Amino acid sequence: MIIENIKLAFNAMRGNKMRTALSLLGIVIGVASVVAILTIGESASQSITDAIAVGGLDMVTIYPSAGQRNTGIFNEEFSTMLKRDVEGVDSVLPQNSSTARVRVGQESTNASIVGVLSDYGDVLSLEYTDGAFFEAMDNINRRQVAVLGADIAETLFPGQAAVGQYISLFRNQAKNYLVVGVLDKKDPTFSLSYNNTVYIPYNTYGQRFIRTTNVGAFVVKIADGYDTIAVSDVITEYLDDIVGTDGYSIFSPASLAEMADQITGTFSSFLALIAAISLLVGGIGIMNIMLVSVAERTREIGVRKALGASPSVIRGQFLIEALTLTILGGILGVLLGSLLSFAVTNLMEWSLHLSYASFILALGFSMFVGVFFGWYPAMKASKLDPIDALNYE
Amino acid sequence: MSEHVITLSDVRRYYVMGEFVVKALDGVTVSINKGEFTSIMGPSGSGKSTMMNLIGCLDTPTSGKILIDGEDTSGMSEAELAFIRNEKVGFVFQQFNLLGKLTALENVITPLLYAGVSVRERRNRAIEALTRVGLGDRMSHRPNELSGGQKQRVAIARALVNNPSILLADEPTGALDTKTGNQIMELFDELNSEGRTVILVTHDRELGLKAKRQIHIRDGKLEA
Repeated sequence: MIIENIKLAFNAMRGNKMRTALSLLGIVIGVASVVAILTIGESASQSITDAIAVGGLDMVTIYPSAGQRNTGIFNEEFSTMLKRDVEGVDSVLPQNSSTARVRVGQESTNASIVGVLSDYGDVLSLEYTDGAFFEAMDNINRRQVAVLGADIAETLFPGQAAVGQYISLFRNQAKNYLVVGVLDKKDPTFSLSYNNTVYIPYNTYGQRFIRTTNVGAFVVKIADGYDTIAVSDVITEYLDDIVGTDGYSIFSPASLAEMADQITGTFSSFLALIAAISLLVGGIGIMNIMLVSVAERTREIGVRKALGASPSVIRGQFLIEALTLTILGGILGVLLGSLLSFAVTNLMEWSLHLSYASFILALGFSMFVGVFFGWYPAMKASKLDPIDALNYE
Repeated sequence: MSEHVITLSDVRRYYVMGEFVVKALDGVTVSINKGEFTSIMGPSGSGKSTMMNLIGCLDTPTSGKILIDGEDTSGMSEAELAFIRNEKVGFVFQQFNLLGKLTALENVITPLLYAGVSVRERRNRAIEALTRVGLGDRMSHRPNELSGGQKQRVAIARALVNNPSILLADEPTGALDTKTGNQIMELFDELNSEGRTVILVTHDRELGLKAKRQIHIRDGKLEA
């Protein structure tokens, strides 16, 4: 029965191609804009998140405020303390940094010099084009060794291997450092610009650059299976208790990503809501066409009733016709919307993240529109008096 | 009693037209037996259409009782009436009333659709009915590809296909030329001789006399 009704619906559409196409247009445009807006929104938010995620979504960086320099809290012991007191902290890496002139022969450049422990490379999953990160013994013995970011290596040693060669770092006096590793090129992020950094052992840095036990920053790696934002919230509470809200600042790519996600999410939901209104308008178009269809086919309805079609059967026939129309419009709309999203994300050089939820949402909504706006015409058809309908000219 | 396929007892059908009450049918009592070939005759406005609509369960009486195959239709809901029409009544109209977008076969299948017959069986039964009226070779034609006589044969096949208790024909030859009309009447004769109850509604005296029994109606009442 349903199959026959769908066939009848297609028969009716074929009989009035132009009219069908025009009334479908409303649904098609409505569904297409919902799909396109949600998909483009999702793709935009994904590409922002991806950019932020390069910095490590499981990383949180704590920066002590200038006023905390001499309170004795943010020294090396802090790492052990934080790891002990906050659940979900995998490791806490102290780091100090500053900018210095780096020279090799005639070539020189400014670089950010970062003093870190030897496990820094592993914790941040750094990758190397040559060599490796320095060893624990290099730190303990305050050896003058360095790991170079890709750009620094390229500038100082154009076209040649840097590992095994010396660079000279200038701070008060020039000191030579043996290059032990060169990092892979990595996209710069808000937090760290790996490519323009020279990593040296933490203790070496302490001796050569600052001579204090205070730490410039702590990179916190969140343990597997813990939610970065949740743990960073706990860290925030913990630090508020110790040093107060002004005593530090905390940076987490994950919370930034979440914020970006929320903003684009809110924005695209709002736009999709507006697009949904056009779907509603499309629904009114469907109601119009169905009313015309019922009026035109009054005699057919009379004949069908004479042949034994009950009111509910007639209602079903016209409801299915309206549903077939809107589902067809929905499918065309999803295709058009996807095509549009593809074009826009291509243009913006975002990766395309088809929002399957929006497909289901848009199709579901157009079906709802079909039933909602098809109901009245279908009821009208089912209530026709068979004798009047049969005599209708 | 069980021989009566239709029983009307004191059936009245009044229409309210503004301030007037039109007594389209005013106290009709009549029975039609199973296997009879009856014509209901009367001039236009006599009430014969009203009577046909009531027998065909397209309408319900203002008062009185109508039994179709022993079932009392007064007070039935729309859906119940539809069921009776589907199961017990086969309509043949003056203007054929075929569904224009469907083929002859699909037209004949339509009542079986509403009866809930399986796909295979309704196809077989529709083919059988079309073959019976001599249109076995026209099954995939649409109404606009058929002559008037052929259209009426499709309509008769459609009326027959659900094996109804009554064949109810309303001026079935009214839109046909004399020769074709005679052929259609012969078909009704044949169907009647196979045991089917045929009711012919007409204003044409000559045509009505071809039935074995005549019911004359005028001003909403039966004439002796």
